[in-house]
Amino acid sequence: MVGVAPAPAPARRRGPRPPAPPGPEREAARAAARRGALIGLPPLVTMVLLFAVPLGIVAVYSVATRGRTGRTELADWNLDAYARLLEPLVLEIAGRSLGYAALTTLLCLAIGYPFAYWLTTRRPGVRAVLLVLVMLPFWSNFLVRTYAWRVLLGSDGPIVTALAAVGLGEVRLLFTPFAVVLGLVYGYLPFMVLPLYSSLERLDLRLVEAARDLGATGWEAFRRVTWPLSRPGVVAGSVLVFIPSFGAYVTPELLGGSRTTLVGSFVVRQFLSARDWPFGSALSMAILVVMLAATVAYFRAQERRS
Amino acid sequence: MHRGAPRLSATAGTVPAVSLRRVTKRFPETRLDDEVVAVDELDLDVTDGEFFALLGPSGCGKTTTLRMVAGFEFPTEGSVHIHGTEMGRRPPDRRPVNTVFQSYALFPHMTVAENVAFGLRMRDVARDEARRRVAEAIELVQLRGRDGAMPGDLSGGQQQRVALARALVNRPKVLLLDEPLGALDLRLREAMQVELKQLQALLGITFVHVTHDQEEALAMSDRLAVMDAGRLVQVGTPAEVYERPRTRFVAEFLGDANLLTAEAVDAERVRLPDGTVVRIASGRSAGAAVHLSLRPEQLDLVAAGTPVEPHLDAVEGTVARIGYFGSAIEYDVALDTGGPEVLVTARLGNARGVVARTVGERVRMRWTPDSVTVLED
Amino acid sequence: MSTVTGTGSTARGAGRRGARREPEAVRPQGRAARLLTGHGWLTFAFLYLPILVLVALSFNDNRFVGVWGGATLRWYRELGSEPAIFDALRNSLVVALVSTVLATALGTAAAISLDRFRWRGRRAFDGLLFLPVIVPDVTLAVMLLLLFVQVLDLLAAVLGVRATFGLGTITLSHVAFNVAFVAVVVRARLARLDPRLEEAAADLYAGPWRTFRHVTLPLIAPGVAGGALLALTLSLDDVVVTSFVAGPGSTTLPVYVFGLIRRGVTPLINAVSVLMLAGSMLLVVVSLALQGRRGGGAVRAAVPGRT
Repeated sequence: MVGVAPAPAPARRRGPRPPAPPGPEREAARAAARRGALIGLPPLVTMVLLFAVPLGIVAVYSVATRGRTGRTELADWNLDAYARLLEPLVLEIAGRSLGYAALTTLLCLAIGYPFAYWLTTRRPGVRAVLLVLVMLPFWSNFLVRTYAWRVLLGSDGPIVTALAAVGLGEVRLLFTPFAVVLGLVYGYLPFMVLPLYSSLERLDLRLVEAARDLGATGWEAFRRVTWPLSRPGVVAGSVLVFIPSFGAYVTPELLGGSRTTLVGSFVVRQFLSARDWPFGSALSMAILVVMLAATVAYFRAQERRS
Repeated sequence: MHRGAPRLSATAGTVPAVSLRRVTKRFPETRLDDEVVAVDELDLDVTDGEFFALLGPSGCGKTTTLRMVAGFEFPTEGSVHIHGTEMGRRPPDRRPVNTVFQSYALFPHMTVAENVAFGLRMRDVARDEARRRVAEAIELVQLRGRDGAMPGDLSGGQQQRVALARALVNRPKVLLLDEPLGALDLRLREAMQVELKQLQALLGITFVHVTHDQEEALAMSDRLAVMDAGRLVQVGTPAEVYERPRTRFVAEFLGDANLLTAEAVDAERVRLPDGTVVRIASGRSAGAAVHLSLRPEQLDLVAAGTPVEPHLDAVEGTVARIGYFGSAIEYDVALDTGGPEVLVTARLGNARGVVARTVGERVRMRWTPDSVTVLED
Repeated sequence: MSTVTGTGSTARGAGRRGARREPEAVRPQGRAARLLTGHGWLTFAFLYLPILVLVALSFNDNRFVGVWGGATLRWYRELGSEPAIFDALRNSLVVALVSTVLATALGTAAAISLDRFRWRGRRAFDGLLFLPVIVPDVTLAVMLLLLFVQVLDLLAAVLGVRATFGLGTITLSHVAFNVAFVAVVVRARLARLDPRLEEAAADLYAGPWRTFRHVTLPLIAPGVAGGALLALTLSLDDVVVTSFVAGPGSTTLPVYVFGLIRRGVTPLINAVSVLMLAGSMLLVVVSLALQGRRGGGAVRAAVPGRT
């Protein structure tokens, strides 16, 4: 069917009629907004009281003064605590924490990606069972899982005993950086695997088939189709591993030594033993800022790439 | 458009089942920090007891219109009335209408019977009466014996019936149907068209049926409204709208149409691109460009040179393409314009005795002048 | 020709309604597949061996953990004579239950108001709810410690009420970090709920409350249960925040055990640990069993990545 000339543009319809009366939309939207705010109010108040307000108090403490007895004087406001953030010891601890967290994230990704990929290739029935097996550690008590490594790596634990038995002598494993990173990887691996699995599982395999059909090798298809499409899982998993690794307390306390102090333990020490609350508060603020910046930067970078 | 606005007022003396008065709906377009006008100053009356179809391409505002009647959306401007009562910002649960949703929206955690009973339960209908009415409704849509099934275990057609029963059991004054047959395959869709039409006649409930399928709208409705870009383009019975499309949009959207640009010779005659002068029902002042619509099935093909009878008009051309459709054959005929190619399509029933043409053959196309519609745009 | 393995499963999968086809051909083949499989089982070994060793050692009849001295239930029996453990356990359960109930109710309300309504302050609230996800435990512990110090001072000064650190402060603290997690889990579920179902309920005369009660809530129940399970687990896992806001006599089990562990490894701690592990796994297994036919809705709902 061929029409010949293009139809003239429909005439603008601006007659002499007065504007139509306003409809009920605005009123209805307002009523809905009121209801939404009403439902949101209890949790909002909770979050303000238990999160926003405490954040403000920490900010206040961070510029207060430590009295001679260790009591914090809410007077003589100063930025000394922030200045101390630049001391070599603090920088060393912060650097170590960042390094360990980055290493942990990378290791979790290196172990978790092929693992999650392998899970998605299992038969559906088997996969369901394996998935439960992955989730069980996720739901298991974190403290106990870390404690297990303390038992395993301990000087009279099975690994050291076995190494000694085969003539490798006294190997010290516990209280080393190795033990801390191992513990972090062990603790947070499920946080990496599960988001990865879920983004890989959602992947439409017909896309991979299309890539192969268009001449890509298995590896090329992976690099150009599977990997880019699984990136949301990589981002989510990395954030979920990096954040708790950076602020970790239990793992370095149980598996590390004095030379592997991380920021988490350092902050706790300011409150429980050194009793320097302003400095501890400044440290907490700094951690928060770093976390916020890292998360935002990471998401931004990933957004740009995709 | 409002002056010549298509407004078929309701039958004198009765209140329209649904009427929209200057209804405009704008949605914020968050990305562009702008607004989208989904429905633009719509005036519409649906007569009580009729099967009314709202027809248009996707995005034309027909579903938004329906949702404003149901109460899921509220007009930015204007008002919605149901049986004479202004709805204002009355929520859906307090409107005397029920909806059959596009994807049925059956509650997946309830059985068929529980789904159907839901509306009665919410209105606290007595248990015995509710049970009886649910059984009736399930019977009505021919689903007896499936009361205990879960929606997920039903076929698409059965789910559609449950959705229908769930709405009808409440005896609404108006039933709103949002592309109810869209998800069904062709054969089932055709069967359901007949069934829906029979149900509507049986129950006497006003149906407002939203669809983008012109055949569905033509086959089922008593009256239909064609919408485009948020506006009403034409309202009328299927025959009126199909045979006398007001605009190029309506002509193209409903069925197939040959759209030709001609030049007015006088009030009753126009000159086609090939120079032939033919008759029209009502024309424009001489010299003006006139847009015509000619339905392919109203054209006849005869051998070139066949004398033209006085009550017919005709042009000559060459068969450029042939489409074989089994029950019909379509011939695209190129007119002798001497300039850019102008094709006119004729659709001939594939009946015994119809002479088959071949590509390149010279033919004469002829028609009665009243099958030519002059379009407004 | 090692390419076409598992065709039997392909055929079965295709026959079932809704099952996805398993295109085996585009999967890694040969050596790559064997490497992946090997890596897969090694990773499982990595995840489970430490736990299995711990369980085995908890039955070891030897004070020296590394030397096997035969199987015994002796350490589990000796737990019976440690009343402190039972006090800590009771505290933990009270805190976990109360904070979970509160956090689940608040988190669900937050999810609904954020997902289903547009209101002023919504975006700010959304941001506030994102904070707990990125604030490390220690920072949160500091925040809550200082909050309660100030609040208790204020109560004493203004009302003359002498409230102390204890189960109350612990419970509130657990609510503080759990509301956001429940909200995230429930919201993920809500986002996948077809809004037309709620419209259908309204169309069938259900007002807002009855729509929620009869349609929304039953359909997001796995998400709510998943959020609650997550809250319960996080509450029972927490060491850092609790140790900051606990008072005398209000130690929870993880904090108590953490203190013991710091001093060294003993068969007694092994036994407690195994019981704690069994407890948390039992929780998951029960949830899985309760929702077995729906593929363990709660357990899966709360897992990151499904969110």
